[in-house]
Amino acid sequence: MHRHLASGRVPRLFLALLALALTCPILANEQLKNLAQDPAWLTLGHYRPDTLGSSYTSQADDPGFFLSAGGKTSPYAELVATLDAIRKSGAGDRHARCRFPARDRWLREQLDLPQTQVSCPAFEQWEETLNTETVTLVFAASYLNSPSSMFGHTFIRLDPPKVDEQADLLLASTISYAADAAAHDSEIMFAYRGIFGGYPGITTIQPYYEKIRLYSDIENRDLWEYRLNLTPEETGMLLAHAWEIRGKNFDYYFFDENCAYRLLALIDVARPGTHLLDEVSTHAIPSDTVRWVVDHDLVASVHYRPSSATVVEHYIDQLPPDHRTLAADLASGDLSVNAEAIQSVPPKERARILDATYDYVRYQTQEEGWSRERAAPLSYDLLRARSRIEQSAPLAPPPEPAVRDDQGHATFRASLLGGRQGERNFTQLTLRPAYHDVLDPPEGYRRGAQLQFLRLDTRLYTDNQEFQVEQLTGVEIRSLSVRDRFFSPLSWQVGFGGRRSEIESDQRIFTPYLDGGAGFGWAPTPQSQLFAMATADLEIDNDLPKGYDAAPGADLGWLYQGHLVSIIGGIKTKAWFVGDEHREDTAYAELNWHITRDFGLSAGWERQHHFDRYETAWQIGLNAYF
Amino acid sequence: MKKLIAGAMLLGASSLAFAQPGCGVGAMIWKGQSGIAPHVLAATTNGTFGNQTFGMTTGTLGCNTNESVKSMAMYMDSNIDKIARDMSRGEGENLDTLAVLLNVEQNDRAAFRQLLQDNFATVFPSSDTTSDEAVSAIVALLESHASFSKYVA
Repeated sequence: MHRHLASGRVPRLFLALLALALTCPILANEQLKNLAQDPAWLTLGHYRPDTLGSSYTSQADDPGFFLSAGGKTSPYAELVATLDAIRKSGAGDRHARCRFPARDRWLREQLDLPQTQVSCPAFEQWEETLNTETVTLVFAASYLNSPSSMFGHTFIRLDPPKVDEQADLLLASTISYAADAAAHDSEIMFAYRGIFGGYPGITTIQPYYEKIRLYSDIENRDLWEYRLNLTPEETGMLLAHAWEIRGKNFDYYFFDENCAYRLLALIDVARPGTHLLDEVSTHAIPSDTVRWVVDHDLVASVHYRPSSATVVEHYIDQLPPDHRTLAADLASGDLSVNAEAIQSVPPKERARILDATYDYVRYQTQEEGWSRERAAPLSYDLLRARSRIEQSAPLAPPPEPAVRDDQGHATFRASLLGGRQGERNFTQLTLRPAYHDVLDPPEGYRRGAQLQFLRLDTRLYTDNQEFQVEQLTGVEIRSLSVRDRFFSPLSWQVGFGGRRSEIESDQRIFTPYLDGGAGFGWAPTPQSQLFAMATADLEIDNDLPKGYDAAPGADLGWLYQGHLVSIIGGIKTKAWFVGDEHREDTAYAELNWHITRDFGLSAGWERQHHFDRYETAWQIGLNAYF
Repeated sequence: MKKLIAGAMLLGASSLAFAQPGCGVGAMIWKGQSGIAPHVLAATTNGTFGNQTFGMTTGTLGCNTNESVKSMAMYMDSNIDKIARDMSRGEGENLDTLAVLLNVEQNDRAAFRQLLQDNFATVFPSSDTTSDEAVSAIVALLESHASFSKYVA
């Protein structure tokens, strides 16, 4: 080089080299280090900051996700290794550019690397097969009687360019992330490993109609479809990253690293700067994650797809009472489709009866396990009779609920109350991280459903400034559902935790408890229900005469869930029989006034007869949801 | 649309055959599936939905195949009870999806729905009709109608 310094060509060559150095490869270490801390790179590698210090660890638990041996804990090492790998010559499915198309795309943009084409047959075929124009986030709402579903579930649908509205979408592909639990694992094992880890999470691709079958038909969950406003480039990036994590193991945890969480990461990759994952603190409840997606202006339009259960209920509701009776008789086998009573109904109305009855029979077959011998010939007769009626006025589909699931109250509730327990005044602070109880604003939630986690009630008694934990609820689930001649669900409840319990000496001791119950509910009006439950309680504490006590009991009550106010009231009795035999009878009433979605007033009153003493407790205060 | 179906095919199946002796629908589609082919009104689908599509096998070389009929067969396999319902009513999204899979043009859609409703009992002669029997019956039905035979040719 020195020898040519004098020549006129050298400066030009030098400038060209300088330009090359500036625009691409041999990068200053400093620049790479900065790039490795770029939020977009951290998102691509699923890096999260460690609790202590400034280091990062990737949530990916699969060596195949990293190109550097130290990639799991070093975004920088992974960046350098990726940069080396994607600049290697060659092509084909094994090349890093084909294995990590999203990283490749991002790095080439950031570092102004040459945008040369690379041939990746497998990825290209995959992309072509998925044929995606837009992306839709689908939220499967919770359904009654299944506590784990109350969290909801989310997955992504890849929508093809519009040719044929609905029909096309049934065939569209979906991407979902779920725990890969072995089928033989028991519910308890499932809960344990789900919470404490141990299940691999896997990404699966399935046609939408399979999802509808699972969620709408089998699990009876309404689906909400949120079409995202991603640009074609953003959609391409999302797919490229989905390809990168496809088949890669990420440990699955119910509360945070769950189905919704991984999808948020996909959206963060698609639109850098969105930072949906930053919203996740201790838990990612799918309904909350949908709220975040809506709040980040990612949603172009929303579509509601009612479940089979919602549809069949709505169909039955549309029949006039005498036709409802005919439908019930058809379903029970008391009437055949050829019976005079059916045939004499004008064809249009008869078609509606047959449609509602068929859907009801299918629903019962699924839910109540009607035998094939009973269901199949009946279903077939209904269908065949129906096919002979051409002129029809179809039953209307269920309307979209006025309040969507993501528009219900936020799940974290804090309450500040003042009250009186017997002769003592107290101030109470209640924190409930998740999720909903029957007195919270009902919109966006299932009626009669309650699921509370880790609720803590603490009291400061004002007479001697004594601080006490009143109750720590581990989990509390209630499923109050109503019965009619078509549907006969069981109401039930279960809960465990620790609570203050009065003993004979008048003290209120803190005792671990486990309780449960089962019963029935009836709806005198659409917004209210009466319920009758048989209950069972178990308390374990050294201060109890035998160290523990148990009580069968009953709970009769009335629940009203309205737009403005929700009320529950009733009487409970428990017959403690282990220590000394005695009864505990309680009359109770509680009310929440829903002032806004985020804010309300609550009041509660209780009068108890226990150990031949009467005691009254009441409280009043504020609830805030956030 | 073909691309979408190819997507479904990725799940496992690749080739099925129709309308030729020795490689009938019934013989091939359900190979690898545990137990019997799905009946229209099978008692319950709980827990076992959709698995049959994963079980499909290849191995029908030499048979004449029609992509759209294959696609329809796959779709019917998973949705037979809903298709039967829509067919009896002469409308519904599952019936429309069938039309899409067979590439039935918009102009022919109304007649297509009508034809299937009118022939419900031909396609599903009993409550024991299996999905493959129904596919064969639909193909035969469309073949016998001048304006629809092109879709299953």
